[in-house]
Amino acid sequence: MDIDVNQLKEDWCGRQFDEVQIPVAAKEIVEFAQACGETAARFTDPSDPDFQAPPSYTSRFHGGRAMPKDFPIQSHQGFDAGKCVHVNGPLRAGDTVTARSEIHDIYTKTGRSGNMLFIVHRMTFTNQNEEPISVVDWRLVQNQVSRKSKREAGQS
Amino acid sequence: MILDLHSHSIRSDDGRAKVENYCQWIRKRELPLDGFVLTEHRQWDAKSDYRKLEDETGLCILKGSEVETEYGHVLLFGVNDDLVAALDFSRLDLPLHEVVAAADRCGAIAVPCHPGRVTVGMCAHYGTLGPCEGVQVIETLNGGSRGTENEEAIALAEQYGYRGVGGSDAHIVSFIGRCATKFEREIRDIGDLVSELRGDAYEAVSFKE
Repeated sequence: MDIDVNQLKEDWCGRQFDEVQIPVAAKEIVEFAQACGETAARFTDPSDPDFQAPPSYTSRFHGGRAMPKDFPIQSHQGFDAGKCVHVNGPLRAGDTVTARSEIHDIYTKTGRSGNMLFIVHRMTFTNQNEEPISVVDWRLVQNQVSRKSKREAGQS
Repeated sequence: MILDLHSHSIRSDDGRAKVENYCQWIRKRELPLDGFVLTEHRQWDAKSDYRKLEDETGLCILKGSEVETEYGHVLLFGVNDDLVAALDFSRLDLPLHEVVAAADRCGAIAVPCHPGRVTVGMCAHYGTLGPCEGVQVIETLNGGSRGTENEEAIALAEQYGYRGVGGSDAHIVSFIGRCATKFEREIRDIGDLVSELRGDAYEAVSFKE
């Protein structure tokens, strides 16, 4: 590996680099729920007394920037390795969520395609009362072997 | 007794299954498993205690690890404080001969897994690095293998006289038990498992449809 992962972690992990406020509208909740194939009324019918966003709803949001300013790896330099949503409380129509972004973890592993570097981008969501709504971990993976090979071959 | 010797829970970065859900799946689907071993990636999960779940489900739930070496990935059974002190589980380039020797010294056993898999299996590395001394057992049946990867693992075992075990390498619930190991004797704890793996009264079995 040509990246010092421990140094990268020390320099960047756990520091909030972005914060945005996002209003939540009933129409958008319904559209998201329907797109996901949800049929339960509490996700699709605004008149339902328990109407709320589906559990994965906050995974649709992104902040003002994907990675911290000057972070050595930007999102276009890897590919999406999936999102994990931990739900802490219901998100309702009319709420305004605050999303705070940080680099949560950086680690390496080996797989069929060689050495991979994973960056875990965490967005923590709270509502207008600062009550926890959810935590979304998005993993960005970068294939270290292919990057190095390209560099050695004089490609970008 | 049939145990799936290779599985991952949400404690692994790429695991998507809760241990409780593995148990529910095994019972609901009436899988021919008596238990499974959780082999989380690059770590030793010392904290998790599954004894209550064992009592509730009647399944044997044991813990191991999966570490990474220059020959590929390796399962460790019988991990204890001594072995944790001897090896940096987070490294991607542990020397396999050191892993095997440390496991042996600490009362554990190292089992290279998915040997037929490119990059992270030992078959490909035997050509360039040569055989690794001390290896006795390899995973000949892996539930996540593709194409001829398991056949290559079986051929390697036959060539070098290794004993073979099976494991699903499950990361999601429905993959548990796709491959497993059938033991002649009962296994009640990790000590029993290590002891049995050092013998030869077992065989790898596949339940892949």
